[in-house]
Amino acid sequence: MPSEAAAALIAKLARPVPASTTFTEVRFVHMLRKPVVLRGQLSYGGPGKLGKRVEQPYRETTTIADGRVEVTREGRAPKQFDLQRAPELAALLTGFSALLGGDSTTLQRLYTIILVENTANWMLTLTPRSPSKHLRALVVQGSADAPRCFTLQQADGDSSTMLLGTLAAAALPEAPTPVAIAAVCAKP
Amino acid sequence: MSPGRRHALIAAWWLVLFVLAAVVQRGLVVSGDLRSFMPPARNADQKLLLDEIGEGPASRLLLLAIDGAPSEQLAVLSNGLAQALRADGQFERVLNGGDDLATLDRALLPYRYLLSPTPDEHPFDATYLHEELQQRAEDLGSPAGEMLKDLLPRDPTLEVLKLAQRWMPKRAPALRDGVWFSPQGEALLLAQTRAGGFDPQAQGAAIASLQAAFLTLRDIGAARLSISGPGYIGVQVGAATRAEAEGLSALGTAGFIVLLLLAYRSFGVLALVALPLLSGALAGIAGIALTFGSVHGITLAFGVTLLGVAQEYPLRVFSHRRADADIQTSVRGVWPLLRLAIVSACIAYLAFLASGVPGLQQLAVFTITGLLVAGAATRWLLPALLPLRFRDMAQSRLIEKFHGWIAAVPRPRWLPWLLLAAALAALWLAPTPLWQNDLAALTPAPPALLQREGELRTALGAPDVRYLLVLEAPTADGVLALSEQISPQVEKWIDAHAVDDVELPSRYLPSLATQRTRQAKLPPRAQLSAALDEALADADFQPGLFAPFLDDVEAARSLPLLTPEEFERSPFGARLQAMLVRRDGHWLALATLSGVRDPAALAGIADTSAGAARLLDLKAASENLVARYRSRILFALGIALLLLAASVAIAFGDLRRAWHVIAPMSLATLLALAVLRVGGVSLSLFHLVALTLAAGLGLHYALFFERKTNDVAETRRTLHATLACVASAILVFGLLATSTLPVLRAIGLTVALGVAFHFCLSIQMARPRDDAR
Repeated sequence: MPSEAAAALIAKLARPVPASTTFTEVRFVHMLRKPVVLRGQLSYGGPGKLGKRVEQPYRETTTIADGRVEVTREGRAPKQFDLQRAPELAALLTGFSALLGGDSTTLQRLYTIILVENTANWMLTLTPRSPSKHLRALVVQGSADAPRCFTLQQADGDSSTMLLGTLAAAALPEAPTPVAIAAVCAKP
Repeated sequence: MSPGRRHALIAAWWLVLFVLAAVVQRGLVVSGDLRSFMPPARNADQKLLLDEIGEGPASRLLLLAIDGAPSEQLAVLSNGLAQALRADGQFERVLNGGDDLATLDRALLPYRYLLSPTPDEHPFDATYLHEELQQRAEDLGSPAGEMLKDLLPRDPTLEVLKLAQRWMPKRAPALRDGVWFSPQGEALLLAQTRAGGFDPQAQGAAIASLQAAFLTLRDIGAARLSISGPGYIGVQVGAATRAEAEGLSALGTAGFIVLLLLAYRSFGVLALVALPLLSGALAGIAGIALTFGSVHGITLAFGVTLLGVAQEYPLRVFSHRRADADIQTSVRGVWPLLRLAIVSACIAYLAFLASGVPGLQQLAVFTITGLLVAGAATRWLLPALLPLRFRDMAQSRLIEKFHGWIAAVPRPRWLPWLLLAAALAALWLAPTPLWQNDLAALTPAPPALLQREGELRTALGAPDVRYLLVLEAPTADGVLALSEQISPQVEKWIDAHAVDDVELPSRYLPSLATQRTRQAKLPPRAQLSAALDEALADADFQPGLFAPFLDDVEAARSLPLLTPEEFERSPFGARLQAMLVRRDGHWLALATLSGVRDPAALAGIADTSAGAARLLDLKAASENLVARYRSRILFALGIALLLLAASVAIAFGDLRRAWHVIAPMSLATLLALAVLRVGGVSLSLFHLVALTLAAGLGLHYALFFERKTNDVAETRRTLHATLACVASAILVFGLLATSTLPVLRAIGLTVALGVAFHFCLSIQMARPRDDAR
């Protein structure tokens, strides 16, 4: 069982659908010399439906519906594939759906949940119950009833953090590191 | 002969038949191979059809769906079933979406630069690489990019993915929990049997082990397996036909027994009446076994139908027993006519023997042997075993009355001519096509089964059963080159929605020439390395990341070209191997199509490729074959009628008398045909066989009515025998005519109608004019 506190917190996170927010995503990929920073709009249309629109530094729209993913980039034919083929995306979607739906039962079934909180901030760490080749953990940081950051830690050491809402406009360090970004997320 | 001895002999005869039947059943190879029943192929399409019939790749597909459980459980069951079937030798290929078949063998990985069309479209220069790498950087920025990470250093232009996409069926079902699912939430699988789709026995066995494999899976719970596909439908329809035929036969047999009891008032005849026919049938099978080795299922069905004539022989003997003479004398009285009927029928069937078609020759051997043995048994075995107590049918009051009635029937000489004119007019005016060439239409599948098949076929994107695209060239590589040549045309078809997909062999392996061209376009290492550095100048990739890419391109530059033989050895090459066929020193590719909407447009490929590529319509080709087969049968039947007329005329030594026998028989056949045609029936092989049987029976009626005798008692016995024969034939075949299945209705209705006409016209035309008693 997740602690009462975690369940209570997750229940508070529920949002009416459709919900949308601006985001800034910082991705650390070992194949690249520096992190990728993307800005755009994230929209949640109910269980299984997620839209991610990247506006900066290039335009790209990802829509997930009915287990299919479509990626559209400016001037190119849309690419479609099964959600099954993108485990990271699938985890993101499940996590998002459960969090925004306030559904701690589903989260509990898929992940072990650890809640750490202080007066200003909280941090939920979700670790997949069935070992995953790709996903190590999903970390949600926030304060009060608002999530601020959503971090996916991958099994190969790469990670990405989405800064949500007002935090999307926050100033980022010159050369961001995972630790520095986590600090941005934790600021009151 | 003492009654005890008589009973013992009858029992012994039955015993011998049972033992023979058991031996025959064990040793007999009943072949379901339509090829042996069809005439030799004349053109290339027919030849291909005969080789492909039942072997056509699409006809061997069983379409499976599992439902009734949560999707995760269905996925586990799907994988379990696929694994079990892959271990079963009856299945050649089992797909459930779970296995990534569309991946290139690791050993062949450098070949991707020869297999993928990228080098045709773009040089591997700085511009192209820059564009690609920029996209890869964006890919890494998207969550979907994760699946590319393993690939990226070795394959920055994603050739492996391009190949996978090229090799994937265009309309594969959606994946859920790693396996195929239909939009309705059923887990879907495709199982290709080794046996042909039209081999009901082998299909039945494969389906049985498929069901058994499913039931032995763990945790089935409420999950259900449903099966569809041509083989499955064939088995279902076969079983339904058999069940209905057996039900009606049982009813017919019961009616026949009641009729015999009414006609002869004796239980003794019941034990005897079937013996000549059964003996004949077993002898016929033995005859085929000796001359051909194996017997075709259709031969057996048609043969037994035709042999139905022999059921009359014992009835004639029963009816003609005389109170005033011993049995041998009675039999000797009817034997000359019976012998004439048997011998002339046998002579007529010789025409089938000369037809040159194995199936018809088998039919002739079976029928001739059967008729001779049944006749001989009737003449030399049966009389000794007849019950001692009997009634002379000449003393029957009912028959006496009926005889008086028949004698009083007016017989205007113009009536036959009027009937002939009416029949010809009816045949001329009949509303429907004369022939039904689609044999499947005679054993139609229930609409629900067909609809289910259609749904699953669409959901699975499975290939069309009716059409194949045939590519022909002197060499395997030539076929691949041809395939490349028509590929743009195929793309146009797909764009125009004439067809959903065509699985061309060049989709898997390009011709050697194309590979050579691509190889020549790959830049040497130094040049590629410089282009890569230039492309990477403004990118953030780690230095040295793409060394494996440089290695693979360099390797690809000097690889020996990939031949079909080499490629077929790889796991994915099995697809290609299944498509390429060597025949008579030529190579053929059989490309399956799915979602054919405009066959006429597709057929045009024959003109643009000078015949090297053509659309094979399996249905049209098989109907063509059936039509040719039918014309052979018609020809054989025509010859048979001439032989029959000739042998009757020679036996009588009198053309007028022969005319009195042959004329009513021919006119009655024509009338039966006319009635069928006016009723909207299109004729099939089954109708022809049924008409032939009716004509054989009609020959008896005419022969016996034509017999000149001054003995009123004998005339009445003849009438009794004929009435018993007519009534039993109409009863048994009339019951078949009530069937819901077109094939049984075809046989039943035709024989019943034919018998009725033969009887009436024999009364009208065969009886001697001075027989006015």
